[in-house]
Amino acid sequence: MEKMIHFTIDGVAVEAQKGETILTVARKNGIYIPTMCYISKTSPCASCRMCVVEASGMDGFVLSCNTPPVEGVEITTSSEALNHERTNIMRLYDVNHPLECGVCDKSGECDLQNKTLEFNVARQNFSAKDQLRPLKKWGLIDYEPSLCIMCEKCVHVCNEVIGDDAIEVQFGGYKSTIIPKGSDVLDCTFCGECIAVCPVGALTSSNFKYSANAWELTRIPATCAHCSAGCPLEYETRHGSINGDKKIYRVKNNFEFSSLCGAGRFGFDFENSAKKDDKAFTNAIEALKNAKAIRFSSMITNEEAHILELLKEKLNIKLFNEDARKFAAFMGSYSSISGKKHYSGSLEGIKKSDAVIVIGSRIATDNPGVRYAITTASKHNGAKVVYAHPLEDVLMQNVVTQMMKYEVGTEEGVMVLLADTLLKNAELTQDERAFFDDLDLGYLHAETNLGDEEFSHMMKSFARVKKATLVLGEDLISHKRSSNIAKLSALIEKYTNFSLVVVPRDVNTLGVSLINSLERDEETLNTVGYNAKGDFVISSIGGGDLDIPSLNQQEGTFVNIDRRVLPTNVALPFHGYTLNDIAKAFGINESETVNYTKELKKDAGFRAVSFDDLENYLGTLGEDNRGYILEDVACKSDGELEELDDMPEFNGTVIYHANPVLQFNAYTNKTTQLPKDDYLRGSAQFAIAAKISDGDLVRVSFGQTTIKRVFKQDADLKGTIALNPVYDLDLDSSRYRFEKSKIERVINE
Amino acid sequence: MGKVYFSTWNGEFINNINVPEEEWKESAYNLPAQYDSHRESKAFIGWDGVALFDKDVDVIRLAMEYAAQYQEYSEACGRCAPGRWGGRILYDQLDKIARGEGCVSDLEHLKEIGKSMQVTSKCEIGKTVPNPIIDIMTHFESEFLECIEKQKPSRHYHNDVSYIAKITSPCSDACPSHVDIPAYIEGVRDLRMDDSLMATRQTMPLAHVCGRVCPHPCEDACRRTNLDEPISIMALKRLGADWETDHGYDFFHPMQKKPLNGKRVAVIGAGPAGLTTAYYLAAEGVAVDVYEELPVLGGEVAVGVPEYRMPIGKYNKDIECVKDMGVNFIVNYKVNADDMRRFENEYDATMVATGTRISKKVYCQNERADIKGYWGAIDFLDKVNLYEKYGYTISKEEQEKNLLTTDFVDLTGKTVVCVGGGFTSMDVVRCAIRANAKKVYMIYRRDEKTIIKNTTYEEYHEAVEEGVEFLFHSAVAEMRDEDNILKSLLIDKFELVPDPNGGRAELVKVEGASYVIEADYLIPAVSQSADLKLLPPEWEIEMTSWATIKTNGKDYMTSRKGVFASGDCEYGPMTIVNAVGQAKRAASVMSRFIHTKEISLTDDEIMEDHLRKLRVYNKKEKITGWLKGVPRQHSQVLEVEDRKYNNKEVNLGFTQEEAMSEAERCMRCYYIAMVQA
Repeated sequence: MEKMIHFTIDGVAVEAQKGETILTVARKNGIYIPTMCYISKTSPCASCRMCVVEASGMDGFVLSCNTPPVEGVEITTSSEALNHERTNIMRLYDVNHPLECGVCDKSGECDLQNKTLEFNVARQNFSAKDQLRPLKKWGLIDYEPSLCIMCEKCVHVCNEVIGDDAIEVQFGGYKSTIIPKGSDVLDCTFCGECIAVCPVGALTSSNFKYSANAWELTRIPATCAHCSAGCPLEYETRHGSINGDKKIYRVKNNFEFSSLCGAGRFGFDFENSAKKDDKAFTNAIEALKNAKAIRFSSMITNEEAHILELLKEKLNIKLFNEDARKFAAFMGSYSSISGKKHYSGSLEGIKKSDAVIVIGSRIATDNPGVRYAITTASKHNGAKVVYAHPLEDVLMQNVVTQMMKYEVGTEEGVMVLLADTLLKNAELTQDERAFFDDLDLGYLHAETNLGDEEFSHMMKSFARVKKATLVLGEDLISHKRSSNIAKLSALIEKYTNFSLVVVPRDVNTLGVSLINSLERDEETLNTVGYNAKGDFVISSIGGGDLDIPSLNQQEGTFVNIDRRVLPTNVALPFHGYTLNDIAKAFGINESETVNYTKELKKDAGFRAVSFDDLENYLGTLGEDNRGYILEDVACKSDGELEELDDMPEFNGTVIYHANPVLQFNAYTNKTTQLPKDDYLRGSAQFAIAAKISDGDLVRVSFGQTTIKRVFKQDADLKGTIALNPVYDLDLDSSRYRFEKSKIERVINE
Repeated sequence: MGKVYFSTWNGEFINNINVPEEEWKESAYNLPAQYDSHRESKAFIGWDGVALFDKDVDVIRLAMEYAAQYQEYSEACGRCAPGRWGGRILYDQLDKIARGEGCVSDLEHLKEIGKSMQVTSKCEIGKTVPNPIIDIMTHFESEFLECIEKQKPSRHYHNDVSYIAKITSPCSDACPSHVDIPAYIEGVRDLRMDDSLMATRQTMPLAHVCGRVCPHPCEDACRRTNLDEPISIMALKRLGADWETDHGYDFFHPMQKKPLNGKRVAVIGAGPAGLTTAYYLAAEGVAVDVYEELPVLGGEVAVGVPEYRMPIGKYNKDIECVKDMGVNFIVNYKVNADDMRRFENEYDATMVATGTRISKKVYCQNERADIKGYWGAIDFLDKVNLYEKYGYTISKEEQEKNLLTTDFVDLTGKTVVCVGGGFTSMDVVRCAIRANAKKVYMIYRRDEKTIIKNTTYEEYHEAVEEGVEFLFHSAVAEMRDEDNILKSLLIDKFELVPDPNGGRAELVKVEGASYVIEADYLIPAVSQSADLKLLPPEWEIEMTSWATIKTNGKDYMTSRKGVFASGDCEYGPMTIVNAVGQAKRAASVMSRFIHTKEISLTDDEIMEDHLRKLRVYNKKEKITGWLKGVPRQHSQVLEVEDRKYNNKEVNLGFTQEEAMSEAERCMRCYYIAMVQA
């Protein structure tokens, strides 16, 4: 336990831990110090100087945001002199700030507006020559430099939390401005976090601009439905026109503590606007009566999953969901060694780590939430980040300290080598030790293409590590040898200081994997698809045989990567039928879908809490009060490590199913703002191997599938693996993402 | 220290207004009254006040131009609300008055804004810019009021007047390389390591090295010392370099390399001075050939400084960074006088940066080089480092000469005595420990306090921990040998006798206190001298009394036109940062010389020298606006048992958390100084 520092703020006795500043302690104790540039999740910008305080024994004012307290110091946060200087700062901020609040997007929720009122700055006291500062259009983001107060929050989050490091301050005194870093136009992942943190109307969403006033919008707290990070967000809605339908105008987040990617922020209009269709409903009931199975996706709530489970029992049919089934199988193998149902890590845990190993995921686009957590760890803790994957990812270079480039298909070998390295000094059981002693390391090093020196370099860089996280991606879950991989990961978690995070693919893969009893998918006749392929399709995206509400039109819960049961709410109404209506038709009677929230499987860790009792907010200090975390459940630990399989070989032109930034699935594809980059992307080397060139229309064949894509040569890629988007394909999402492929140029078609 | 018309510098108040020039009082400070050889200064204005050397200075415009500089030097500013808007308002209001459009309320606004800037600005630059402006407004109020009342422009508002300004800080001023220290610390604080590294590399290409083994004279000039403890400046430099290396980035150069301009420069020696010269000249588009006598690059930092202090892997990154600028290296090539003569025709200029690689004698009885066991420090460290870092083994012949039985330095069972007291001797004794010597002594004439002052506390402390025995107030009187093999040493004891007249205390031998210690090796590490046989004798290059190459210490050209010298061969054995600083300046001078054949300094360099003379750091200044007692961070050091017998890097550097805490302590003491010439 570190020694606490005792001091007083405005006469109140308070204490600080190492690393806390006067400002953070004041906030913790509910003492107000005004700020304009402070943001909790980054290092202090220290630009506004509003947070100055007086300290006993010291002349002058001390900045509270970046000064740690010293023992016994008496801090005064408010005095006439302080107020005078703070007021002068506000007067300076107001110098030449355009008086266009009436047409400014930020009006009504503007920090400058609020503080101007708070400090009663009624007129411009000082003058300086005005300057011409034209608007910059950066795609989804607009930058209005004349409104910018140069607080630098945007620059700090972009670099320290997101990791894009795409904008910077162009220093120039009065002329200072924000510019794209190292480029004329903004080249970033368009998370829009800069918009979120902007205290004024300088950075805005180009789409939202001038469409509504802040105070007209209704905020609906919800959970992002695009990936398993389950980020908190608020849909902001209003009627679309006089007597018009309700519409989502924008998405906002509690940027002080949480972050959103661009898909979450800009990809909100995926609602199903279909009308009620009684005929379709009758057909659906009929189809289900005849069905042998329901095939469904993991983009559903826990409550929907629960109802499907009830239907399965009632109708005595099978449930197919390969994504969740493989995840459940992976976790089952994990449990057989760990003796518990859930892995130990979390996003918050990653943020606090000083070492992170990521294996088997293109994590920056697979799960931006994990990426941001790793960025935070890298920037704030100097975390050593080992990134093991057959493909480099330029988005991760900023944080990765060691790239381990392994051969496609050798994931099991990689895990064994990693476990062998990390468990060198662990007190393993005799059997476990024997497993490692029997390894043919030479073979593994050769097949994986990961040398011994790479692992010793890693261990050297981990010398001072205190808290570490191992992040496992989809390539391991969908791998043929996933069972052994899961067991090895459990062993690492058990014997080392590594926490484990297994990244679920879809928003509720984890929830579904816990709730449903799934069977291996087979091409059965009479399958009803529920947001999935089938002979009769019930779809929330539209275009199916029966329409149901989309995830922004439903209330219910998801289980995210943190094993947290998260509530989401209805942002937009849906006028048709729901799964609960279908269930009722089969005599499964609950008036509301969310009545099932408290019924969710207890032996999977769910609690008997009803939906209306679930909170959905972050506390004033950032405490996550959303929903609850699944209880851990003890399992039988009777698993044994399996003998290794021969490593497969992937030669020729291999493709890797990986989505571009801002795209995840059919729902993000449906939204209007998100760019639809659907190129097959490959390196110059890939182009040569496949005998194609940049801009060619190509036919890509893999497994039973053939698609057409335009090929784009990408200077950021290396080697003979190309990236193939899947958000626009109706593919079995649980397949191993590397595939041998045939690439042909399409001529004269 | 010269006569001034008016001065408020550093709290002095000299007012010779209406006083005949011959009765003017002198300022107590080294103010730059003479700008350069052909220009007098008319005024000097800076963070601490204003000084006028001439009656005819337009003080209103002087104040306005000073405020304008604050806008110009925006790389250090524009980061806080008071500075950004306040600075602009100062300038606009002063200009308004100066052009004859001011009103009395403008003066009030100026004072009001000035005061807010003084108390709330982020950097000292914002806090201090109002100081001389307010001084001028106070003492020359009538001039302001006259302009305002008559609505007329100030005295020389429409005339052509030249103002030269420079930004500085106490730490950068004290750093021989003038590294922009506040900028690289800001990079760490803002978690923008690329910015941090590029700030360092503007004047210091060896970021890994000077983030590890610099004796950091900057920390002696850190203003934070006036409040509590100095910032750990050196250790923060390493962050950027380690980040670049860890993430496998291409090198972040602070400048764009210019296209080749057809000029060629030869650099003799690939140590810090040579590398620095090469880096900055190559950036200017000069084709640079670096000749190195040894088989490896890096000079004394490579073969002198041991691995445990300066891992070669990291130093090689610095060297690669220089290579990346497009420098050509020729190793295993000892340049001689004929080469030098040839270079004069083949190159547009030559830099001699050969260091000091001859170990000086200890001057004791029977001190003979042919006694086996008498081993010069430089050669000893060469042998150790060439093996440990590069795997070069020792030849049979050399083994025999130095009483070795292995092809590397193994001192098992041997007693080693080193005479010294500086960094080189510390390296010798600690390497001897790592070579498994039975017993290691350090003989030093003076006391513990002085050895710490000459090296660092850490260095001395770590040597003691590792088992080196320090014999203070001692000197070797005689080497005793048997058949030319060293057996023992006679040691004299001294004591410090204070001068009764208040002069410097004197070391006096204590009669009868001498004693003998057994010794297998005597390693003299008292000092080193330069081997300058490469200089053609007919050039009659001027030397200093220390037998180093003489320059004026400003442009680093020797008495031979086109031949420059920097680093230890110019200054005598000194620090890496000193060598880099000299070479950086020399490279700048050379970059112009090769085109014009003239020696010139830029205004920035002239101001740099003025400020160095004036001294930026004022250790008596009272600090306001910062909380006293926020502790200096200390990086973790390997435990003695983990480091004593290997070459693992001893200092692990800051963790990110420590680095950020330390960076937050930096007060960003940027200042602007300006001369009206």
